[in-house]
Amino acid sequence: MFAIVEEPIDVGALIADAQRPDCGAVSTFVGTTRVDQNDGASVEYLEYEAYRPMADRKLEEIGAEIEERWDVREVSIVHRIGRVDPGQASVAIVVASPRRGPAFEASRYAIERIKVVVPIWKREVWSDGYVWVGSQVGTRT
Amino acid sequence: MSGIKVLLFGAAADRAGTRETVISAETTTLDELWPILAERHPGLSPMRDTLAFAVNGEYARGDASVSPGDEVAVLPPVSGG
Repeated sequence: MFAIVEEPIDVGALIADAQRPDCGAVSTFVGTTRVDQNDGASVEYLEYEAYRPMADRKLEEIGAEIEERWDVREVSIVHRIGRVDPGQASVAIVVASPRRGPAFEASRYAIERIKVVVPIWKREVWSDGYVWVGSQVGTRT
Repeated sequence: MSGIKVLLFGAAADRAGTRETVISAETTTLDELWPILAERHPGLSPMRDTLAFAVNGEYARGDASVSPGDEVAVLPPVSGG
């Protein structure tokens, strides 16, 4: 499953759906929102936006790349957009394969590719302004 | 109004002060479209070297052709995950 969602990601359900008798490994990567602090200010939440449907299609392409490179039987990538509070899952990647090596490698590949090709952006909303991550554009001084 | 629809995202939307604009032009290229966009939204100019572009939902280089009816997206460095 490849999806961009606005509600909390049910990681447990993704893992349960990936388990199957011909696979001996299910690897899961969950990216969670981290709160940074400096100069007495802190991040209150993150806000994500996506260019759809391009972003949806790019997630599917990453899945196809993985299936070309590794012997995997299930790949799910779910990215959340909108407001995501600290410590919550912003992205979940679940890969099932007959053996553990491909599952580990493919899940790592997926998150690295997401950070390069999928048109999704996040801004950190701080107690004293916001900043677009990667562009350093915002209202914090 | 028929024209080239330009969508802006993230920091680019912030800098431009809008998320969408329409440029009236005949068939052209992304490189030739940029000065029109930058003149309309001067705040974008400092970002030029960081931006990527898509035409109709796929990454495109500066020499890519764009025509009225196409959708161009202005994409700052992605920061998903």
